[in-house]
Amino acid sequence: MNKIPESLFYTEDHEWISVENNVATIGITDFAQSSLGDIVFVELPDTGTNLDSGNSFGVVESIKSVSDLYTPLSGEVIEKNEEIEGTPEHINGDAYGSWLIKIKLSDESELSTLMKASEYKAFCEGN
Amino acid sequence: MSHLKTSLYEEHVSLGARMLPFAGFDMPIQYENLKKEVEAVRNNVGVFDVSHMGEFLITGSDALKAIDHLVTNDIKNSEMKKAIYSPLCRANGTVIDDLIVYKISDTKIFVCVNASNIEKDFSWFEKNLKNFDVKLENHSSDYSLLAVQGPKTFETLKKTSLLKNLDDIEYYSVQVLNDDKIMTLAARTGYTGEDGFEIFASHSDIKILWKELLELGVEPCGLGSRDVLRLEVCYPLYGHELNDELTPLDSGLKWTVKLKKENFIGKEVLSSYKPKFKLVKLVLEKGIPRQDYPIENSNGEVVGKITSGTMSVVLSKGVALGLIKEECKDDTFNIDIRGKKYEAIVTKKPFVSGGHK
Repeated sequence: MNKIPESLFYTEDHEWISVENNVATIGITDFAQSSLGDIVFVELPDTGTNLDSGNSFGVVESIKSVSDLYTPLSGEVIEKNEEIEGTPEHINGDAYGSWLIKIKLSDESELSTLMKASEYKAFCEGN
Repeated sequence: MSHLKTSLYEEHVSLGARMLPFAGFDMPIQYENLKKEVEAVRNNVGVFDVSHMGEFLITGSDALKAIDHLVTNDIKNSEMKKAIYSPLCRANGTVIDDLIVYKISDTKIFVCVNASNIEKDFSWFEKNLKNFDVKLENHSSDYSLLAVQGPKTFETLKKTSLLKNLDDIEYYSVQVLNDDKIMTLAARTGYTGEDGFEIFASHSDIKILWKELLELGVEPCGLGSRDVLRLEVCYPLYGHELNDELTPLDSGLKWTVKLKKENFIGKEVLSSYKPKFKLVKLVLEKGIPRQDYPIENSNGEVVGKITSGTMSVVLSKGVALGLIKEECKDDTFNIDIRGKKYEAIVTKKPFVSGGHK
């Protein structure tokens, strides 16, 4: 069974989000890493990049596949996890400890579009 | 739309394989872990259900003459019981398919073709064998096919009930285990670069063999790992390195076109053909090349494109085959990956040297 921590928010694209003081931290869920298999490459945007919700902000690649990463929230990328670009396999080991980017939110009302853990759990089971 | 199922479909589903449609069949792409599958084949032994592939039989007094008329490689002068890889070409030299011919006897030729090309190939065979004294049969739905691959294949197969009489035959040769109407064949061939056998048999025999192999600890492997394995040893794949628009001479297959052969379809054109493309092997220190990514020279001009690319499990680097303009002499290129340029170095040898004898 894939882990879905209570404290986080989720998207239909299988990303997790934590929010603190107007800054959202984004990663991919345990479900996502396990469907992708061995993650071998991660490409993330440079800090300072402005994203609109729905934009692709990078990719994760397994041996055989390329998957786009989409931001559910608008704002400026204030930090990217450079360490994970060097060790993408850590996402397989600890999806929720492997954040990808931090965004300074420009529209906090978008947070209402995110799913709670219970909703995401139902979403995964429905798939 | 419902897809065809191989005789092992239920087995794949019960093992939790990820199933995807391929060439009209629901095929296992991956079981538990792709990397584990690749490593099992390189170091131990793995089994692939490749029953989707097509099988034709040509029998009769003209069987040898007929197959030599169709394919570019030389079957007549190959030894008996040999497996011979060959393109199948049109009169204009373009490739209809690549296939393996099994020379069972002077009057019996068995052919294995790509799943996606079964109908195209069979109608081409029918059309072009009218003037030969042969009987042509499509047995694709009568056969199941397992590829058992890896250094421990032979010793493992000897422990199974179907293959206890298997001989230690040469690489790229075939043993007839049962000469019934639906022959049981063990060919020392494969698509991984490792030692291994491909077993053509009835659905019921293959179901038993599959079960025994899994009980012997053989790793079930899907089409995903099969593609990584073949690309690591630089074997071409129809629809990628080969297609309806290219000749074998554009795709690095000059060695399979025997222009000294008396006659074959495509000979006239191929005899004077000047290749437009050449196939290159590329290694990237960073970035993973994928099909259709542009290949650029140092001036930023697009000179070709990636035909197959992956992360190599053995090398942990991006590797690719690509077709570039024939006149291109460079030994480094840049691959355009989502707008960023990644350096790719041309290598002469396959990325991984398989262990086959």
